[in-house]
Amino acid sequence: MSQANTRPKPFLLPDYCKGCGRCVQVCVQGCISFAKEINPETGMVPVLLDLAKCTGCGLCIEACPEPYGLRAMEAGESFELQDPATLFGPKRSTAPDPVDIPGRTIPLPAAEPLVIKGTYASALGALLAGCRHVFGYPITPSTEGAELMAKLLPKMDGFYLQAVSEVATVYHMYGCAGAGLPCMTFTSSPGFSLMLEGVSYMIGSQLPGVFVDIMRGGPGLGNIGPEQADIKLACRGLGHGNTHAITLMPSTPQEMLDLSYLAFELSFKYRSPVVVLADGYLGQMTGRVQLPTAMIEPGLPAWAVYGDAAHRKNLHTSVFLDEPTLEALNVKLNAKYEAMQAEARAESFQAADAEVLLVACNTPARASKGAAQKLRDQGIKAGLFRPITMWPFPIEQLKPLLANVKQIVVVEASAGQIEDELRLALSHAGITDPPPITHIQRYGGVLPQEKDVVAHVQNLMGRA
Amino acid sequence: MSNAFYGTFERHSDGKGLKGHSTHYCAGCGHGLAHKYLAEAIDELGIQDDTVAVNPVGCAAFLYFYLDTGNTSTAHGRSPATAVGHKVANPNAMVICYQGDGDLAAIGLAETISTAQLGIPITVIFINNAVYGMTGGQMAPTTLMGQTTTTSPDGRDRLTGSPIRMAELIAQLDGPVYVERVALFSPAERKKAKRAIKKALLMQKERRGYAFVEVLAECPTHLKTTPEKAMTWVKEQMLPIFPLGVKKDANFEPWFEMPKLGFDPTTLLKAIGASSEKPAGFCKGFPTHLNPTDISLKLAGSGGDGAQTIAMLIAKAAINEGFDGTHIPAYGPESRGGTSYADVHVALEEVHNPASPHPDVFVAFNAPSLAKFGNTVRPGGIIIYDNAVAKDVKTTDPTVKVIGVPFTDIAARLGKMVVKNIVALGALQAATELFPAETLLATLRDTLKDKAALIPLNEKAFAEGAAAAREAMKR
Repeated sequence: MSQANTRPKPFLLPDYCKGCGRCVQVCVQGCISFAKEINPETGMVPVLLDLAKCTGCGLCIEACPEPYGLRAMEAGESFELQDPATLFGPKRSTAPDPVDIPGRTIPLPAAEPLVIKGTYASALGALLAGCRHVFGYPITPSTEGAELMAKLLPKMDGFYLQAVSEVATVYHMYGCAGAGLPCMTFTSSPGFSLMLEGVSYMIGSQLPGVFVDIMRGGPGLGNIGPEQADIKLACRGLGHGNTHAITLMPSTPQEMLDLSYLAFELSFKYRSPVVVLADGYLGQMTGRVQLPTAMIEPGLPAWAVYGDAAHRKNLHTSVFLDEPTLEALNVKLNAKYEAMQAEARAESFQAADAEVLLVACNTPARASKGAAQKLRDQGIKAGLFRPITMWPFPIEQLKPLLANVKQIVVVEASAGQIEDELRLALSHAGITDPPPITHIQRYGGVLPQEKDVVAHVQNLMGRA
Repeated sequence: MSNAFYGTFERHSDGKGLKGHSTHYCAGCGHGLAHKYLAEAIDELGIQDDTVAVNPVGCAAFLYFYLDTGNTSTAHGRSPATAVGHKVANPNAMVICYQGDGDLAAIGLAETISTAQLGIPITVIFINNAVYGMTGGQMAPTTLMGQTTTTSPDGRDRLTGSPIRMAELIAQLDGPVYVERVALFSPAERKKAKRAIKKALLMQKERRGYAFVEVLAECPTHLKTTPEKAMTWVKEQMLPIFPLGVKKDANFEPWFEMPKLGFDPTTLLKAIGASSEKPAGFCKGFPTHLNPTDISLKLAGSGGDGAQTIAMLIAKAAINEGFDGTHIPAYGPESRGGTSYADVHVALEEVHNPASPHPDVFVAFNAPSLAKFGNTVRPGGIIIYDNAVAKDVKTTDPTVKVIGVPFTDIAARLGKMVVKNIVALGALQAATELFPAETLLATLRDTLKDKAALIPLNEKAFAEGAAAAREAMKR
């Protein structure tokens, strides 16, 4: 049996043995035995090796579950115990430090405006922003966006995948975004609720992704009419933990495109999900949409877990068992949320000298704009303040308008979710004595109408 | 020692002390062996750089402490969904799901089954130890009948279900190319386990499909026994319920190569139907005779009447003429039949209220629509309705003009019921003069440019609808 003599015998550092005894079981020569002595370093009871009769069969090595447990002793090595640090370390991973591969901006030839519905406009915005991966689960009234993507993406060699649920959807996004690529979903309120756990994971792991939520009537299954009742979810309830994401509020099919396009840029800039909140009307509404002047071919960020040599070093995780480490992540996220305040956006209409300031988003902002015009015709100085980001709330844009304002009227299709954001923003800004705030609220798939706004303001100003 | 393991486990308590070269698993746990065989297979197949290991929730949550590959840790049960995301982002990546029984067979069952049926080439290593380890010994979906756990203290019984055989379940799906159940309790079984894990990775490397290896593993800690007895328990108790062996070994052709993502602007513009050609205008000015700045229309019928199609045409025509236009559809729950109505606005500058609660113009395809919306038309407004299906229509407001046109009869005479809506569009044009006929016809032709053969019929339907409306207005 000359071969047996040349086969390497096992070697074991007792510190790395937990004494499970799988090796004891397989050694026919009885070279390995359970011991009784507790290793003072580990508190474990490592096995004992007596290799006098060892044939080097290797079964013990194969049976050992520890990467640095039993291993073959190479020729020339000694049995003597060695310092583990010199035996195994400091061998480092050979994985290289990844670098950013920048994207590029590609000019688009001029095109005539399209006449398309809001969900389509949003889909085109995503395509133009470089998104080639869309995941989703059908839900009215958002599905047309996914349907258009399923039709268009193959033409751009992209990928649409219908997930088994909204829960699976958000984790498809987690994986795809983890690989460093722009991705998105179309959903509607009940679906968005289901995605929130994953949004929290994306925020924790600092992954980008765009969620277009076409809000419908709730609670529960509700209906498929327009509502604005997911604002508290997007602004205050993105899953568990300290979470925030930039929340964009389009009010026209054009903005469905523009803000979806912008959402990708912001999402990668901050390595964080971005939510586009539209009401059911906006999703379904057809209107004029002008294409931008350029489209994006995304690069590949240094942080991607792409599945190649350049990114082997990377890890995405949101689990940090060590409390100081997790607190440090939260501090970092809070700093990021602070930096996101710079992205606050708003539009004003006849607001500079307004005495009655309407505050509205999405489709109700259109009705409010019409109302402001009608009220001006009647000699009431009405204006509109339209937050384009609901989080962060554009308080800095609002502040200078407040000088002449005698009444603030919040017009919304929810039970005060926009008003809550407004009041919170005023409070945080130290505005303790804001003008009186009243509201027009509709729910359940009904939107406030222009005439409702006009009547409310007339009443408020004693002109009824 | 496999090169696919880190030289020092720096993520394990910063690699300090013993943890730098030691796993976090209990003595006798099966995970260490599964990790080792996985690492060795990665090494032997030369795929370390390409590998993305999807870390589960459960005892193996910290796979990334050890595997020197790309790593993503995900939520409980979401490994396959996450893996699919990685795989479609980079089809050349070697994506591995490493999951426990709670992760794969309880909370993640929907994702597990749907991903297996999808068959996308990923590798799933399923560690079945019949108990929840990380949370402290609760009942798993694979817990055996009679087995005591902290949540089946008197032993699993009918009320708590019975163990689910995942390998068999996965094997009967169309998607997977290779499914095997292996164990770790003897040298022979370990050899098979290692071979199975390597083969499952090879199936992915060769792009043949989804591969699944169920590993019966020991959890002496929560079996409350010794490592040695745990091995005996797996052999004697688990094997009768979870028989070992290859459950599926198909010979699939490799999946197609995923093409490189496209970013050609011309292709994109063509795909989305954008054109640089300015549409011709025919309007002399805004149709102020209907409303000075913003005309509100409602079109209502049954699903399938085509109300939405012509609503869209009107909005499109408005924008082609340089005005603003919007269209909002509303449907009943039915795909065909049921109610279907459309609110359309045509505005000189900007539509503020896209809904039409009090339309200037109302087009009704049937009697229920007339009943529902007839009285919402504003004073002085116009109603155009299908008098082939609704008879003797009167309004309470005498200022509203009511024009009956037999949409259905005309369409039937033309031999195609589907042009009923175009008959209505022609009638609407003639009755309201919202736009010149040519505006709507140009938009109609553009919409039908891919089905050019249908254009003459549609033009005829439009003309007949318009003629019938003119005739009706004379009466």
